[in-house]
Amino acid sequence: MKLIKRTYIYTSVTLIPLLIIGGLFAFYMIEYISYEETDEFLTYEMERLVNYHEQNNDLPDFHNVDDILEDVKYPQPVFKDTLLLESGDNEMVPYRELRFSINHNGRDFTIVIRQLLPGRDDIAQGTLMIILGLLFLFSMFVILTVNFAARKIWTPFYNTLNKIVSYKIRDPLPVFKNSDIDEFNTLNVTLNTFLKKISSDFLHNKQFNENASHELQTHLAVIKAGTGKLLGNSDFTEEQLNELKKIHSAATKLSQAQKSLLLLSKIGNNEFSNNSNIDLADILNSSISFFEESIGLREIKLHSEIRSCKVFMDAGLAEILINNLLKNAVKHNIQNGFIKVKLMEKELIIDNSGADFKGDTGTLLQRFGKGENGNIGIGLAIVKEICELYNFSLDYSVSEKTHKISVIFNVN
Amino acid sequence: MVVEDNTRLLEAIAEILESAKYVCEKAHDFGTASEKIALYNYDIVVVDINLPDGSGLDLIKEIKRKSAETGIIVISARNSLDNKIEGLDLGADDYLTKPFDMAELLARVKALLRRRNFSGSDLVSVGEIIVNTASRQVLARNIKLELTKSEYDILLFFFANSNRVLTRESIAEHIWGDNMDLADSFDFIYSHIKNLRKKIVAPGVADPIRAVYGIGYKLENR
Repeated sequence: MKLIKRTYIYTSVTLIPLLIIGGLFAFYMIEYISYEETDEFLTYEMERLVNYHEQNNDLPDFHNVDDILEDVKYPQPVFKDTLLLESGDNEMVPYRELRFSINHNGRDFTIVIRQLLPGRDDIAQGTLMIILGLLFLFSMFVILTVNFAARKIWTPFYNTLNKIVSYKIRDPLPVFKNSDIDEFNTLNVTLNTFLKKISSDFLHNKQFNENASHELQTHLAVIKAGTGKLLGNSDFTEEQLNELKKIHSAATKLSQAQKSLLLLSKIGNNEFSNNSNIDLADILNSSISFFEESIGLREIKLHSEIRSCKVFMDAGLAEILINNLLKNAVKHNIQNGFIKVKLMEKELIIDNSGADFKGDTGTLLQRFGKGENGNIGIGLAIVKEICELYNFSLDYSVSEKTHKISVIFNVN
Repeated sequence: MVVEDNTRLLEAIAEILESAKYVCEKAHDFGTASEKIALYNYDIVVVDINLPDGSGLDLIKEIKRKSAETGIIVISARNSLDNKIEGLDLGADDYLTKPFDMAELLARVKALLRRRNFSGSDLVSVGEIIVNTASRQVLARNIKLELTKSEYDILLFFFANSNRVLTRESIAEHIWGDNMDLADSFDFIYSHIKNLRKKIVAPGVADPIRAVYGIGYKLENR
């Protein structure tokens, strides 16, 4: 949810009790004021009548006041609320009445004067109108100010956010604009520190990999050259040659393992990003022809069903992916076995015969997971890494000596 | 000329090339190499990309400016595709990643010399077997042999390294490259060589391939 939307929601929620309290307050205020005014008016009226009586010693006429009660005395003037039937509308309407007594020629007369009050429903209606009007004005004002203030205040934040979102580990470090808001400045400075650290760690890691690789491979080349030369020497005993051979093949294996590990870390570091639209069918066809002889030597029956499959990825990685999958199917196959390759629009399925495997097939996808011969296997770990990079789903299952690997492309 | 900053590796490369009767100059850094390039013309330069005082890629540019027909083989420990593409774009003819087999280097040098036609002929022969590298035809006692791609590659690899023991690993690396771990069980190599021998012997040629127990094979050229 957007920041601004959240702000509106919170503002509106706090506005609701405010409106209720404000509405009640306005209602009672109006009612109170109308009583005050009415009472004041009635008091003036009473004073006028009392003065008139004192000056002229004459009671007001019946038609000038609302009622005159004879021989009733109120020691103090009394205000009362009352409801009277309005004959015109035929409904009860509220009145405020004032009763006061005048002694006229030794007789007590209580005079009643009344004034129409605004009904509670009228006041409620008025209050509602006022509140709604206010609400409207207030909302307009809030929307305008929040919009304006939010844009003004949060601009540096969105600036920073956009820069981080579009930042890729190999890009130069983003430069955040200075803002006059302390919190955002702190955020920018902190982010900058983190990014610097991450970026330099990444570079160091990359450099370390490359340097380690360079040094290791160069010296392995020396070992291989030396042992290779000695292997050609016929003066050695068989035992000595055997030892040399072990050194030579260990150097070769070490070099292979290091290359694979470097490849894995490069994939993880996202160093392959020459993405383009690639038809896997082409790669699969050339990969099949590459392994054709090996397949023939083991008398493996190959069934392939290849349709065009367009995938957006790095061409080099696509080749590594397909080659490793096919190589796995050939390598762990048996004499007179079979391989079924099925490439569809969004999916590649490879079934192959092989040794029975009991246990978690997940371990086969791990780096250096132990195979049945204790072999180290890294080819499938590379496949897994590539699949993770591109969000492909990878599944490996074994049932009764049939191994099945499926890759589903473009899982979103 | 060989340009490589690791002196021991430099010696090893020079030794193998000299043993194959090539005249070989050595340069252990960018400066020396650059000087030699300016002074002499070479048939082939083997150049390492990572040198302490410069990039091998710049050497390739210099070589190409001086004499375009010089063959260039790049050797690099950085198995990075970018370096490879850049090197080949600059005019390098071949690319080897360390640690390569000396046998492999020798095979590449010989192939490049043939391609550049410094040796003057597309034909290579050992005993009664003749290989035409242009048409990829193999004749044994003038009878044409039908070899598969791998068998042909192995035979040519043997030819480039005659009288030298080739380990099964280097043969595997030669035919499968980065996919060589396919040959963990070397029965593939074994089968290929068995079939190759069968085809060579069929016309009555003596089998020139000798198995070196536990290690690999050797092509004898008397």
